[in-house]
Amino acid sequence: MTCIATKARNHKIRSGLRVFAFSWLSCAAFASVVFSVGAAVLIAHELGTTRVAILLNDGRTYDVDVITDAAALLEKLEASSGESPLAGLPPDRLRARIEQFGEQFRRRVALRFDGAEARPAIAYAVSPGADAAASPIATIHLSGQIPPGATHLTWRYAWTFASYAVTVRRTAADNPTTEWLEGGQSSAAVALKAPAPAADRFGTARRYLALGFTHIVPGGLDHVLFVLGIYLLSGRARSILWQVSAFTLAHSITLGLSMYGLVSASPRIVEPLIAVSIAYVAIENIFCAELKSWRVAIVFVFGLLHGMGFAGALKELSLPRSEFVTALLTFNIGVEAGQLAVIGTAFLLVGWYSADRVWYRRRVVVPASMLIACTAVYWTIQRL
Amino acid sequence: MHMRHAMISSPWSSSTIRRLARLVVTGLALVEVPLAAHDMWIEPATFFPQSGQIVSLRLRVGQDLLGDPLLLDPSLVNQFVVSDGDGVRPVVRRDGRDPAGLVRLITPGVHVIGYRSNPSTIEIPADTFNQYLKEEGLDAVSAQRARRNETRAPAREIFSRCAKSLVFSGAAAAAQGDRPLGFTLELVAERNPYQLRADQDLPVRLTYESRPLAGALVVAINRLNPADKVSARTDADGRVRFRLRHDGMWLIKAVHMVPAPADAHAEWASFWASLTFEMRNPSAGTNE
Repeated sequence: MTCIATKARNHKIRSGLRVFAFSWLSCAAFASVVFSVGAAVLIAHELGTTRVAILLNDGRTYDVDVITDAAALLEKLEASSGESPLAGLPPDRLRARIEQFGEQFRRRVALRFDGAEARPAIAYAVSPGADAAASPIATIHLSGQIPPGATHLTWRYAWTFASYAVTVRRTAADNPTTEWLEGGQSSAAVALKAPAPAADRFGTARRYLALGFTHIVPGGLDHVLFVLGIYLLSGRARSILWQVSAFTLAHSITLGLSMYGLVSASPRIVEPLIAVSIAYVAIENIFCAELKSWRVAIVFVFGLLHGMGFAGALKELSLPRSEFVTALLTFNIGVEAGQLAVIGTAFLLVGWYSADRVWYRRRVVVPASMLIACTAVYWTIQRL
Repeated sequence: MHMRHAMISSPWSSSTIRRLARLVVTGLALVEVPLAAHDMWIEPATFFPQSGQIVSLRLRVGQDLLGDPLLLDPSLVNQFVVSDGDGVRPVVRRDGRDPAGLVRLITPGVHVIGYRSNPSTIEIPADTFNQYLKEEGLDAVSAQRARRNETRAPAREIFSRCAKSLVFSGAAAAAQGDRPLGFTLELVAERNPYQLRADQDLPVRLTYESRPLAGALVVAINRLNPADKVSARTDADGRVRFRLRHDGMWLIKAVHMVPAPADAHAEWASFWASLTFEMRNPSAGTNE
């Protein structure tokens, strides 16, 4: 008798260990994905008053405005030409003087299309400062034709010692992209046309895997409580596996169908029903200690609801069209991993030691299920 | 006590050679000088305001007194103050704008304007960092990197600005000169530059954490003659003496670098002290 009990216990521990190990491997994989994204180097320079705006008129012509302190630019132009500085000039004389150094100015400005330097037409303007204390501002306008067939441009401006921002717009109505540069530093290559959809499948998969996971942990307390409700029914691995499989299959179906627009339900209906489903499994745990086939069926039906909830969250993330299937699948896998992480944690905290103790139901399952049920009832009322 | 006379006279004598030198210096400043090693100084709209005049203050970053105005970054300001006969008070800040501040100067005498920044983090490639240590005379840091076999490694640094400017208002009889503001690294003119006679040197003292800093490179640059830089190492009392032979705006500067505190996520912490003022008719022998 003791021997049979020990075997059963060992078997249960082994199955539990398998679920637990898988869950934690998933967690570790996700942690590495989430934390390896972009370990950027911190660089802080001092911000100057110069700024550069590049407008590409649908890839045909370009307009570049360099907006900078007029006197500071003139000083540098004069010094680099070996000329004595003229201080305190009014805006019109500043403009004329800067214009005298046009060729000098060009030497430290480079606009390149596919590596070939352009020779833009340059127009100079100087206006008074924005307020009484501010100094005159030079706007140097560079314009010209974009060479036919060119695909990328780079920008370099070496007449400033401070950090400055370059904004690029492909059309006048386009939202600008901004890059911060140091004086003398070349910009990254900018595509002249809107970039083709990035076919970076691996990057998409990684991103949506992480989004799926974080939608459960830590983002989805309601899904966490539902999964805990499933887990608490019985300490047996068979019970957990059947329910998790039914839940996974069901929510995968509705997640996919919803994303393709084949089924839809208002969140005003789905969200309260998700709360009801949590309350149901938790209340059933209080009155029932064994896995019945109808419990699996009910979990399946509830899984359909949760899938529509996941679809609502995924739609808000605006899926890339080119990688729709990748994103959908990896988001779903991320959700699974999140669920397994919850089960793994629950097993580690309570199941591992106490699942086959006589007091397990009385001290763990019933109080925990009551707590979950109360929370879910509260959510149901709140979401109605 | 004998003070080391640290003036280095200019090797340039003819205006043509000076112009050529200036061209070379400026060319180097704009092309070759590492991005990390720019000076920062305060430039008031005038160094000689009338009593009661509001003076705008620009922060400038650059090389050889050729610089770009900076926007006042509120997150970087640790102190932006003016000290005069009535004590120390804050400058009127213009956050996010240039000029960075305004100050009304009423009492006669020398007004000491000070800007001290919070530290900024920067990562610098090995070659650039080594060049910058050489240019700023930070030989001890170079030696330490060599000892640790780090010469080929990039460096992560936190840098802080400790800029001062001396503005003179009112009668020349007002004797009060520069005063320490308590900046981490600070240059203090020990004689009022606005009362300097033609045959007098300007003694300048460099302090780090309010104690004299010996052996540090201090450089003086004149706006109209940037090629005529004068430089010297501080003596045991943290002092250098400069003979300032040119009219116009002067920048005196020094850089000090120490190992960064453990929680700074950087290897080195640098402090950039600057002092600006303007000389008028300082010497009969201005043009050699």
